[in-house]
Amino acid sequence: MFDVIGRNFVFLMGGLLTTFELAVLALAGGIGLGMLVGLARLSKNPWIYYPITAYVNLLRNIPLILVIFWFYFVMPIIIGEAMAPFPAAVIAFIIFEATYFGEIFRAGYQTISKDLTAAAFSTGMTYAQTARYILIPIAFKRMAPSLITQSIVTFQDTSLAFVIGLTELVRRSSIVDNMEVRSIELYGFAAFVYFIVCYTGSQISLYYENKAREVNLI
Amino acid sequence: MIEINKINKWYGDFHVLQDVDEVIENGQTVVICGPSGSGKSTLLRCINGLEPFQKGEILVDNTSVKDPKTDLYKLREKIGMVFQRFELYPHMTAMENITLAPRKVRKWSKEKARDKAMELLKRVGMVDKADAYPANLSGGQQQRIAIARSLAMEPAYMMFDEPTSALDPEMIKEVLDVMVELAKAGMTMLCVTHEMGFAKEVADEIIFMDKGKIVERGTYDDFFNNPQTDRAKLFLSQILD
Repeated sequence: MFDVIGRNFVFLMGGLLTTFELAVLALAGGIGLGMLVGLARLSKNPWIYYPITAYVNLLRNIPLILVIFWFYFVMPIIIGEAMAPFPAAVIAFIIFEATYFGEIFRAGYQTISKDLTAAAFSTGMTYAQTARYILIPIAFKRMAPSLITQSIVTFQDTSLAFVIGLTELVRRSSIVDNMEVRSIELYGFAAFVYFIVCYTGSQISLYYENKAREVNLI
Repeated sequence: MIEINKINKWYGDFHVLQDVDEVIENGQTVVICGPSGSGKSTLLRCINGLEPFQKGEILVDNTSVKDPKTDLYKLREKIGMVFQRFELYPHMTAMENITLAPRKVRKWSKEKARDKAMELLKRVGMVDKADAYPANLSGGQQQRIAIARSLAMEPAYMMFDEPTSALDPEMIKEVLDVMVELAKAGMTMLCVTHEMGFAKEVADEIIFMDKGKIVERGTYDDFFNNPQTDRAKLFLSQILD
């Protein structure tokens, strides 16, 4: 009964590749932007704090699928031309995920004592240098488990990009399903692929987490 | 030279520093003591601009700390600071802790920063711990690394904020020995400490603070043998128990 998978394997794996491409860009951008969002959420400058806090609260209270839709339909009005699904999805994901990663980083920065920052300042380091060499690396290590969990969630969320026509794994499964009507096998296979990737990812991260804990206690 | 001219600081309604005046000449060691909450640490933090103050003036080598045009980052390069709880960067080795600021702020080469760090590790007796992480060092060892980290920027002044009060008794001496050596080598130092043995050995002046004011100042002998105020007498009787 799984012959439908075999016959369309290359086509489906092409979808998985798109899923990976979207996930990698969404994570790189979301984590990178999230580091800065987390800093901004702790800023004493009201011109930084309030706009970023409003952005975070807004995006965290809207379903991702609506953010993707909204972005896909509003961007053409702003930039004057239609956007291809892939770049639209990448930008929507980065903007959305950065709010979640931002809150994780904020929690990480809050584990760092004020005096540690003062110690860095007292050696003449600027705020930017202190953030780059002290705050971000420590928050990254301390929040590694949460960051990995959110990364896995992001990977799964990329399937939502099918609503704007991005031919990732779920979309390609539905395309094949429309032709061959083998829903259970096709969506079962897609679920299986997601499970393998996410479970492997969480196991690998667990291994490195334990290893990191052994050598470097922070 | 550091000139502190009638500075006042409030936290809301709480008047933490009241008309504090002091001049620290180059090469001097000044010890600041007093009960907790008397404003000693706050005073140090005002000197290197970690904390703002509302009234008065502090000049470091004739540069105003309060002037918005002053580059505080630049100013802090010449004022080293050592903290009660060491505050080493936990994700870096001792060597990396020491070389970070020289490399990123002074833009020294890796080799130059390492050479300087090795020289300082020798000075604080920690050469064999260069590659250790803070979590694997004792409190006394961490504090000596923290001192080396400050010295790596070749500061003109060193401030110590209760550097031994978080240490077990047997580790206090190893840190004080480093500080005594520094003072004798001519470093200009401001030390918030209750270690009277240290004060006796190297302090040119002792300042006693209470409730945000300097209530007594003088040499070790003046302060120790002939305290003028009841508050200082009480304080001395408590710490000498």
